[in-house]
Amino acid sequence: MRPTLLNSCASAATAEEARFRIDAKPGLRVERATRVVALDAGAAEIVRPLAEAPWLGSRFLFDAGTDELEDADFVLMIATNGDGAAAAAAIGDVCVLRGIMTAGLVLASDQDQGAAVTALRPHSRVLLVSRDRRDAAGLLTALGA
Amino acid sequence: MLKQEINELLTRTGPDTEMGDLFRQYWIPAMLAEELPEDGCPPVRVKLLSERMIAIRDSSGRYGLMDEFCAHRGVSLWFGNNETNGLRCAYHGWKYDVTGQCVEVPSEPANSGFCAKVKLTAYPLVKIGDVLWTYMGDPAKQPPLPEYEWVHVPSEQTYTSKRWQECNWLQALEGGIDSSHVSWLHSAGLKNDPLFKGSKGNQYNLNDMKPYFEVVDSEGGLYVGVRRNAEEGHYYWRITPWVMPAFTMVPPRGDHPVHGHFWVPIDDENCWVFTFDYQPVRALTESEVQAMKDGHGVHNEFVPGTYRPLANKDNDYLMDRAAQKRGETFSGIKGIAMQDASLQESMGPIVDRGKERLVSADSGIIKARRKLIQAALDLREQGLTPPGVDPEHHKVRSAAIVLPKDQAFLDAAQDALTVQPGVRQATV
Repeated sequence: MRPTLLNSCASAATAEEARFRIDAKPGLRVERATRVVALDAGAAEIVRPLAEAPWLGSRFLFDAGTDELEDADFVLMIATNGDGAAAAAAIGDVCVLRGIMTAGLVLASDQDQGAAVTALRPHSRVLLVSRDRRDAAGLLTALGA
Repeated sequence: MLKQEINELLTRTGPDTEMGDLFRQYWIPAMLAEELPEDGCPPVRVKLLSERMIAIRDSSGRYGLMDEFCAHRGVSLWFGNNETNGLRCAYHGWKYDVTGQCVEVPSEPANSGFCAKVKLTAYPLVKIGDVLWTYMGDPAKQPPLPEYEWVHVPSEQTYTSKRWQECNWLQALEGGIDSSHVSWLHSAGLKNDPLFKGSKGNQYNLNDMKPYFEVVDSEGGLYVGVRRNAEEGHYYWRITPWVMPAFTMVPPRGDHPVHGHFWVPIDDENCWVFTFDYQPVRALTESEVQAMKDGHGVHNEFVPGTYRPLANKDNDYLMDRAAQKRGETFSGIKGIAMQDASLQESMGPIVDRGKERLVSADSGIIKARRKLIQAALDLREQGLTPPGVDPEHHKVRSAAIVLPKDQAFLDAAQDALTVQPGVRQATV
């Protein structure tokens, strides 16, 4: 069947036709149960101010136990060095077991970057290695955390 | 989720916009050299960054890019005659050289000096490889010429095409950074495209549909690494460099040519996609070039005599549901380029990023947007030169490589990710 109306073919991708898109209802938005884990002292320094801000369904953890992951569906681990390797492994194991999505954010000096990456890589499905500490807030905002 | 004002900042590239100012810090591809094939050839209309211009190659072989409209009465110079060392307006005969300088106003006395006071806005136009490049910023801040490898290898080693894409530049670029769609949208191409098929890397690709992603800052932009399982104790990495603002490369497959794109805004709702294939150390074979001309790999077929794809929004991209059902294509659209373009155009001319729902696998896109925003603001507020202007940042390669599990790709693949003249690309 050939398309007969403008809005039933690919030509509908115009700014004018965009007016007719159905708006997402706020109540229907998918909120993730996010846990942001600071894996070391440097990471805690970055995460602490973030914890003060209002977020949607996110909790911020500084003492990296795994009990807090009970009802999580996304865990973001933040590291500035390799000190949190054991904690990352413990969290990673729990996440694999429970089907929780994991991501890692490395915000380290050049000197510590390798250790932090090594600590997080085996336990994060996604790893962002950045020089910009503001990426912690930026990433959470972009993910609707 | 992106606030509307941030989406505006990222997507608007006209004069005096933040992103427009950013683009005007760089040399960007303006057109293919084939569009001005000989000295004194007809002029060509060019629209870039929401500015309408006319490109000429004068009788002495000099290239110029200037305001499309005559300073006299505002008619298009496209109707003009490309005469000896200048373009003469078809209306009243005003003549301009390649710098936009008016050199003759026939209605004025020859020695009046009037024409010396008339100059059109003009930009440099320089041929490097098969591409004519322009710099549309402050002449006092003009950077050194681009050093991308694909335009510097001998001509028999490189091939470039360009196509019109009917959407904002950013959603096109984001497709070049987003490696996670390849296993889905382009899965069939890995099996049957003459410029993709047959590599060992394809097997790693198709055997592991849940890859891991690693996004790493670089001096000029980002590296986006995608890792999949390889043999015991090893990962197969595909690493895509993004050089700001709009250059991406696709990791190679086997001995196939290396390809990539430069995504250039025409205006806020259209862009040019310059698509290249090259071999760093050998000539392209006849069959490779023919495959590119036939629209395989990352190239496409065209409406004859134009740079508009043959499959386009007016014909529903020649959707083939039977091929989709047979598994020959994943989306029903033929060819890698149009598989991408059709989906990106379906988002609308400028997608509303306030309605999207990003996940952590989109970290490359998230980080790229943040770098663009920061660079645009740093430029506007502090006059800082953005990443990607320095030609050293252009000397990158994509890579496909198998590494032991404990090695960081950026450490282990540093040589592979850097242009080394005379050295083959790192590929699996």
